[in-house]
Amino acid sequence: MSNVVVLDNGGGLIKAGQGGERDPAVVIPNCLYRPLTSKKFLHPTTTLSSTNEDLTSAAIRRPIDRGYLINPDLQRDIWSHLFTSLLHVTPSSSCLLLTEPLFSLPSIQRSTDELVFEDFGFNSLFVADSPSLVHLYESSRRPYGLVSEAQCSLVVDCGFSFTHAAPVFQNFTVNYGVKRIDLGGKALTNYLKELVSYRSVNVMDETFLMDDVKEKLCFVSLDVERDLQIARKHGKDNLFRCTYILPDGVTHTKGYVKDPEAAQRHLTLTDGAPPARAVETKKERDKLEVMEKTERKIMDLTKNEFDLTNERFLVPEMIFQPADLGMNEAGLAECIVRAVNACHPYLHPVLYQSIILTGGSTLFPRFAERLQKDLRPLVPDDYQVKITTQEDPILGVWRGGSLLASNPEFESMCVTKADYEELGSARCRRRFLH
Amino acid sequence: MDDDNSNAFRRMSSRTRKVAPKMAAALGSSDNRTQAALARLEALENDNTGIEAVEMNDDDEASLDDDDQAYMQKRFKGTKRKTRQAKALENARKAPRTFLELLHEANLESLPPHVPSYLRAAVGPPSSTSRRHFCSVCGFTASYTCVTCGMRFCSCRCQNIHNDTRCMKFVA
Ligand SMILES: [Zn+2]
Ligand SMILES: [Zn+2]
Repeated sequence: MSNVVVLDNGGGLIKAGQGGERDPAVVIPNCLYRPLTSKKFLHPTTTLSSTNEDLTSAAIRRPIDRGYLINPDLQRDIWSHLFTSLLHVTPSSSCLLLTEPLFSLPSIQRSTDELVFEDFGFNSLFVADSPSLVHLYESSRRPYGLVSEAQCSLVVDCGFSFTHAAPVFQNFTVNYGVKRIDLGGKALTNYLKELVSYRSVNVMDETFLMDDVKEKLCFVSLDVERDLQIARKHGKDNLFRCTYILPDGVTHTKGYVKDPEAAQRHLTLTDGAPPARAVETKKERDKLEVMEKTERKIMDLTKNEFDLTNERFLVPEMIFQPADLGMNEAGLAECIVRAVNACHPYLHPVLYQSIILTGGSTLFPRFAERLQKDLRPLVPDDYQVKITTQEDPILGVWRGGSLLASNPEFESMCVTKADYEELGSARCRRRFLH
Repeated sequence: MDDDNSNAFRRMSSRTRKVAPKMAAALGSSDNRTQAALARLEALENDNTGIEAVEMNDDDEASLDDDDQAYMQKRFKGTKRKTRQAKALENARKAPRTFLELLHEANLESLPPHVPSYLRAAVGPPSSTSRRHFCSVCGFTASYTCVTCGMRFCSCRCQNIHNDTRCMKFVA
């Protein structure tokens, strides 16, 4: 059997490597970027957080919009660099296992197939969706667990472009049950940019920098009311206030958290701990305002840093309550309930017991705890709610693909180049349906 | 760009501020606040908004040659109008369409109701209509709305800060 290239082609990150291996050989952003110092758009060769390059105000071009491939020319360019310079594979003697988002449009599928067979000349192709791969990986990890025995799970994929709650039954994604929230890591970073730019420093052009801030400092609140109170406190009582230092382009090209240890203090909060002082008297409030005023004056806008307090949890909060932003969409817990309710009632208890979290945006501290808290009251009392987090939510899909690629039956599931030439895109695609 | 690399803040803000061109356009229309709110949501999908205009016009290849670079500098200075238009036209022809355009073309509305599709997978509106509002200045729970721009604030103090320095900041 020929060599299988497993490619999880995300809107944010490309995860790519050889089928059968545990981890992808390459994880890079799915984009081209142009630093201020460069005339040309460049190919990332690694995740950009691990380079020392100065990415201040770098321009970005992405082939994927709202999760779907809209710019095949740009994607060709990125893949070409990936296959030739990073993976060193020969497409004509390889098979490609490619992930594609759910409900892709026929026109997008057609241009994807053209890329794979006509531009790169792969000898065969298998297109998979993320939930079924995540399910496959998790059930292989626990062969005697519920996910594996019931062949059923509810995969919650909170990625770069959007969030899906997808029921999986008998190892296939139940399409009619899938529900989507149009919010993912990209929108969260943009929201954080907006908040910081509005309140302290203009960072609207600083995507890479603000991704870093988001990843290092944001977390999910278990009690927003309480945490808003804590976030207004002063000095040591404010468990959330922390400072992020901007790159100066001379001594450091990367931004960093000023006091990383202090930035972790929010983790000492447990669910249900009341704010030390819930009600303030008028006098205290006045005093507070005076103090805040002076603090704000001290904050010098030309300084290379900014403070965060409630932004740290108000950003991930969007996924749980998009309505707060003015989006007319239900939050994650309701999204899950709707996905479950679209399935046969017989499956409901099993699905609630086998919720699997995947995707980079589930990495915020306390994500699963908060989801449990929101979901529990919406689920019938006699059903158990059990949420599993993936060991590595960014690589979970790829690992499932790698596992599938090493299955002895994998080759027979693929569409070959000859099939494609004979039948065309649309008829080949029907083969991947069940 | 800016030679004074010693100051990150200045480096960042020296760039032309084009935070949300759509929002600016929207605000010109009749229902200011609704339009601004919609434009703001759309902006959440943007990539490096400040350079959006360049993004849409530049080349398909991974490299921009010197001509393009020179062209872009000219663009920013607003000279050579003719060349710019010719170039923009040329690029518009091969510019990739957005997902929403492709979606519109796919005409999913015509599918029978039982067929799962991108449109039917949308989660739909929340069952509770209650919306929390956070102060645009400090982030705290906000009970007041600016009549000019629709942004929220929580107290007189935040209102003053809003009026002094931030009202319509994203549009100016
Ligand atoms: Zn306020
Ligand atoms: Zn205002």
